Amino acid sequence: MIQTIHIGHLLRETVRAPYRNLLTRPTGAAIRNRIQETLAESDCLTALLDFSEIELLDFSCADEVVAKLLMADEERGERFVVLQGLREDQHEAIEHVLTHHRLAVAALPADAEHEGPRLLGWVSTDARAAFTCVCRLGALTAAAAAASLGWPAARAQDALEGLAVRRLVRTDGELFHPLLIA
Amino acid sequence: MTRVIEVPATFDDRSFEQFAAGFGSWPPEEKVLLDARGAQWASPYGLLAMLTAGQAIAEAKRDRPLFTVPTSDDVKRYWARAGFFKYAAELFELHGKVPKAAVSGPSDVLLDVTPVRATEDVHEVVEKISQGASRILHGELGLEMKATLRFSMALSEACQNIVEHAGTSGWVAVQAYTFRRRLGRRVVVIAVSDAGIGFRRSLESAHAKRFGDRWGDGAALEAALIQGVSRFRDPGRGQGLAFIKRFLDQWKGKISIRSGTARLAIVPPWDEDVPLSEHLPFFPGAQVQIIIPAQDAESR
Repeated sequence: MIQTIHIGHLLRETVRAPYRNLLTRPTGAAIRNRIQETLAESDCLTALLDFSEIELLDFSCADEVVAKLLMADEERGERFVVLQGLREDQHEAIEHVLTHHRLAVAALPADAEHEGPRLLGWVSTDARAAFTCVCRLGALTAAAAAASLGWPAARAQDALEGLAVRRLVRTDGELFHPLLIA
Repeated sequence: MTRVIEVPATFDDRSFEQFAAGFGSWPPEEKVLLDARGAQWASPYGLLAMLTAGQAIAEAKRDRPLFTVPTSDDVKRYWARAGFFKYAAELFELHGKVPKAAVSGPSDVLLDVTPVRATEDVHEVVEKISQGASRILHGELGLEMKATLRFSMALSEACQNIVEHAGTSGWVAVQAYTFRRRLGRRVVVIAVSDAGIGFRRSLESAHAKRFGDRWGDGAALEAALIQGVSRFRDPGRGQGLAFIKRFLDQWKGKISIRSGTARLAIVPPWDEDVPLSEHLPFFPGAQVQIIIPAQDAESR
């Protein structure tokens, strides 16, 4: 159900050198192609992209690897993409490029047991609050989210549906589920 | 006939214009001699400017230019240690004794003169600089540790501009030194230069129409640095320079880009440079300089 893809491993295979820095557009495009090839052969529901072996991530590479992967909707199918192992500066690079494209992705913090996932990129304040609510409370209806957030039901429904369209929460009938990450 | 171009005694981004004016039209019709005998000091920007001139003349298939090396032993040693003569010997007929580059311990040269020809070179540049950058930026300049990573990102993006846009190869060098007159503090300077098509030609097909009569080297620099446009239609492009600007704003740094006959700078409060200079002497390709100053006690 969950496939972890180690970006450091793909980088070493792609550039055939012991680099830990994810730099340049051609490198990023090659890594994205490898991710897409891996996912094409997988029936996983969640693709967990693990950046923990990566030292430096520049903007060009963040754009090629993360933003363009999210934009390639057809290749993604019904799959959810989650990032993990990111450092602060890598958060910043990904946040910047996703905001530029009005995209968003969920990222697991280093201490995932105690902290929930966070959203990187372009997300409205309502959607961010609704995302946190789902991650904290687990599967719920829009009415339950509205009650928890003190919002009108329609506001919670809009926020949660917006998250579902962007594959930041899963839907099952009237229920909105957090992403499957463990 | 030989056109003699005197290398400024102190060769940096300011005296560059004197150097560029010496060539007249490009490519120069006559054989060229760069006379560096009187040189006392050159910034990375100055060193790369000389190599870029040599490269542009070679690519224009003109006679191999001559180069008379500095008289000062100290200057010669420093330029050798910065890796200048290694590449100058490929582009110029050198006159004068050149010392071998000394292999020494830590120095102010964070990254010696390094060619940027392909994507792999950008990886090499960033790998090479990572340890030295931390020592200088954090240890000497008082920037946060995370600034080292941002510095490397800025370096990567600046070098990628050559690979992606210049249409030929280029050079990069990084050095730390004290800006006595302008700032009175230590700085780290990244210089990136290429002999390629320049910003105007790179952006012309996609953006010239929008600017109408205003289109030129200055407008092209504004489009790239201020508006973040790129020649590619891909909407993710053009973010590299935007990031560099943001990074420099945070650390009160400076970026200047010269291309063709114009030069555009984002000027920090400590500097008195003009933001846009146009109608300068033509010089091939693009020359980028990024300056990051030591942080004052208050901001540490």
